Amino acid sequence: MRDDLHALSGSYVLDALTEPERDSFERHLQHCSQCEDEVRGLRETAARLGLAKTVDPPPQLRPRVLAATYRTRQLPPIGDRIEPERRRTRVAQRWLRVPQVPRLAGAFAAAALVVVVALGITQVVTRHQPGVAQTASTTISRVVTAPDARTETVATSAGGTVTVVVSAGQQAAVVSAAGMRSLPSAQTYQLWVMGPDGSARSAGLLSRTGRAGPVLASGVVPGDRIGITVEPAGGTSSPTTTPVLAVPV
Amino acid sequence: MRRTAIRQLRPDPGPAEDTDRDPDLPGLLAQVARGDHRAFELLYGELAGPVYGVVRQVLRDPAQSEEVAQEVLLEIWRAASRYDPAKGSPAAWALTIAHRRAVDRVRSESASSRREEKAAPDLSEAPDDVADVVATTLDGQRVRRCLDGLTELQRESIKLAYYGGYSYPQVAQLLGVALGTVKTRIRDGLIRMRDCLGVAW
Repeated sequence: MRDDLHALSGSYVLDALTEPERDSFERHLQHCSQCEDEVRGLRETAARLGLAKTVDPPPQLRPRVLAATYRTRQLPPIGDRIEPERRRTRVAQRWLRVPQVPRLAGAFAAAALVVVVALGITQVVTRHQPGVAQTASTTISRVVTAPDARTETVATSAGGTVTVVVSAGQQAAVVSAAGMRSLPSAQTYQLWVMGPDGSARSAGLLSRTGRAGPVLASGVVPGDRIGITVEPAGGTSSPTTTPVLAVPV
Repeated sequence: MRRTAIRQLRPDPGPAEDTDRDPDLPGLLAQVARGDHRAFELLYGELAGPVYGVVRQVLRDPAQSEEVAQEVLLEIWRAASRYDPAKGSPAAWALTIAHRRAVDRVRSESASSRREEKAAPDLSEAPDDVADVVATTLDGQRVRRCLDGLTELQRESIKLAYYGGYSYPQVAQLLGVALGTVKTRIRDGLIRMRDCLGVAW
């Protein structure tokens, strides 16, 4: 019986088995790695038999097939799932820390810092919706040309790198990403600014192609951290996955 | 170990491997799995010919072949994320879908009994048919040469099963041999083809 079953491998790859035989052979394959190896090689061989018969299809087939793909949902990959819980402490460890404002001498400096903090909090309160355009009190060019501008380039766990230019004086950061793995249309990258208390506010959505920016994140103050996560398309109000932006700073 | 053995068994190396000029099909498929339509257009360019060719070989009828080829190419789009590189090449994946769909169409036809009546003329057509198409492509030349290296029974069994879309009991009936004989001839013949073609799995 064993030998008989193994002898079916050739007929199996040529689709020459009857239905019940095909089913029982496929069941057998699941726990016979030797058979699986043989089937793999014979399947490639059968494919060569097929390739030898390559014939250009009629030209009208192409537009019909392409049009049909726009109407056809694709199967999601097996085993794909978004982390259901946000692991808060791990989120905190992985975020890029904004460099501290260099200490300035005198009372004026202290007042300036207080103002900065106050502005940051105000903006935290008013901005909740992801994807809403920033009503920036500064511009990208002002941030990158600011005298206290500092640049960090960090590799992300989604591949590629993210460059962050921070100016504490401008209370803003400019973020650019390149080379992150592109996401399916059901997902997007989202930019976050996280306060020292662990709260996170959205700074907008980034292109799912993995190449985005420069994007302005306003209301960034010393002690804040900047992160990027993978979220469902349309974004979320708080991070649901572990950030792809790798630390540390 | 076995790979070096295969190289020694190959009758002659032949011209440069076709695979040298092949695009990155696994890469294209991965992009298609993410919904990339442009990547699918490129994939269509590579696979539509083989898919249509296989389907046409089994179904014969041009209109039906077009219909089934369209189904297969759409299934490739739909199931791109399910392609597992560990299980084989993208071409093998695509042509497995194509061949299976074509054979399913044949088997479900109520005219299957009529088809068996046509079997005798098909049998005499088959060798010439393979020769006509096979000579024009490099893959075809290699396949033809390796098929020629099989025994007649191995060759006819494989051609009837794969290109003819017959089940192995039907092949046994057409060739007038025992069921067990057909099964082993098909398997032995394919193993020899595999080694002759230098299939690296």
